[in-house]
Amino acid sequence: MNYPKILTVVLAVTASLAIVTTAHAQAPSDPQIVGIVQAANRIDINTSTIALSKTTNSQVKEFANQMVTDHTTLEKAVSDLAKKEHITPETSATSNQLNRQATAEDKKLRSLSGAAFDREYISHEVAFHQAVIQAATTTLIPNAKNAELKSALQNTAAPLLQGHLQHAQQVEKSLGS
Amino acid sequence: MAQGHEDAERSDRLPVCPLSWVRLHRACLLILTILILALQFAVQSAPAANSHHVVVINQLRYQPPSLTVRVGDEIEWKNEGIFSHTVTANDGSFDSGLIDPGHSWQMTIKKTGTIAYHCRPHPNMTAELIVQGPGGQGTQPQPRPTQEARGLLHWRIPKSPEQFHPILVNFTVALVPLALLGDVLGRIFRRAAFYAAGFWMVLYAAVITPFTAAAGWWWKSQVGHNVPAQIIAVHQWLGTSIVVLFVILAIWRGRIYKRDATPSWSYLGYALLVVVALVYQGSLGGAMAFGL
Repeated sequence: MNYPKILTVVLAVTASLAIVTTAHAQAPSDPQIVGIVQAANRIDINTSTIALSKTTNSQVKEFANQMVTDHTTLEKAVSDLAKKEHITPETSATSNQLNRQATAEDKKLRSLSGAAFDREYISHEVAFHQAVIQAATTTLIPNAKNAELKSALQNTAAPLLQGHLQHAQQVEKSLGS
Repeated sequence: MAQGHEDAERSDRLPVCPLSWVRLHRACLLILTILILALQFAVQSAPAANSHHVVVINQLRYQPPSLTVRVGDEIEWKNEGIFSHTVTANDGSFDSGLIDPGHSWQMTIKKTGTIAYHCRPHPNMTAELIVQGPGGQGTQPQPRPTQEARGLLHWRIPKSPEQFHPILVNFTVALVPLALLGDVLGRIFRRAAFYAAGFWMVLYAAVITPFTAAAGWWWKSQVGHNVPAQIIAVHQWLGTSIVVLFVILAIWRGRIYKRDATPSWSYLGYALLVVVALVYQGSLGGAMAFGL
């Protein structure tokens, strides 16, 4: 048996599959779009819940509270819309990647406390919202096929995320990091 | 000489009003006129009652994003969206705290100026209030039909365009129909006094109406976008045309007056057309002023 040859073939097939999968992820379907948005919502709710239990800074607490409330509301709104439009959320490479990153970040946050925690949480929130806004504007909104979904993303989710980003940046500035 | 003597006798027999009566009569007329004018100015200048305004919060926007109000007005922000928002003045002068979905927050605005505000959790939501001084100054042309009278007639010297136009319009609107009426009554009763009224009132109208139109244009330059576009478009050009029509009317009637003639049917017909145009013009003005 020519093992090196078999290994090469196996690697090539795997790589192709990975590329094809990634290529597919560039143009998500509506179920995948909903999956990505809901993953982002749940991630922010979880991370901000950790923040609420750990922070002593009133501004950070206020921000974290807002994240939990807003993302819970957005999650429900998206879920209701998906049900109404008969879109069943699907996981995707993107949503899986988001979840993996979130797990790692939450672990890091749990190991911190005090001012260090506050700075890490807020800078993470800034980066997270920037990434989600980027994904929404370049990939999710342009590829959304369902008109209601597209409209909700454009007129509700995007401005909400933009507001969160600006709020997070204000808090970051006041923390002096 | 004898003729003059006879004239003097004749004049002795004519009833003569004592000079004091004439003076008293004139004084009464003058006082009455001043009172009527003063009352009109007072009514025109009376400050509008406090109004209630509503700003709707939905889809992470304040609607309208720019609202013009008067000091003392009440403003209600209604959250018709799904997220909680605040109404927070940029200068810190007011903060509603979180307004939950389905709830409202009210405020009585106490200071003048332009006040920018935003939502604290969503700072990308911004809007502004333009707060005008009390009593008829600035860019709010429409008195609301539901306002209650203040109970006091404060007289102030008219200063702003929204006061001048309604005052002058009264003269424009009254004079030409009455002039036409004078000429018609003159035909019926064959009295020179009616014909004189027919001429002089048309002349006054032609003199005053350019000022009425100018006041209207001045008012529009201050208000502009706040009035319905279609109505103001017709109103401004019809009004300006009416200035010209009045001048034509006055010249025509003036020629008739000079010849000591009776106004012809063609003149009366023309005057009637002008009156009809005036009524339509007035209805457009009323629609803008009273939101009919």
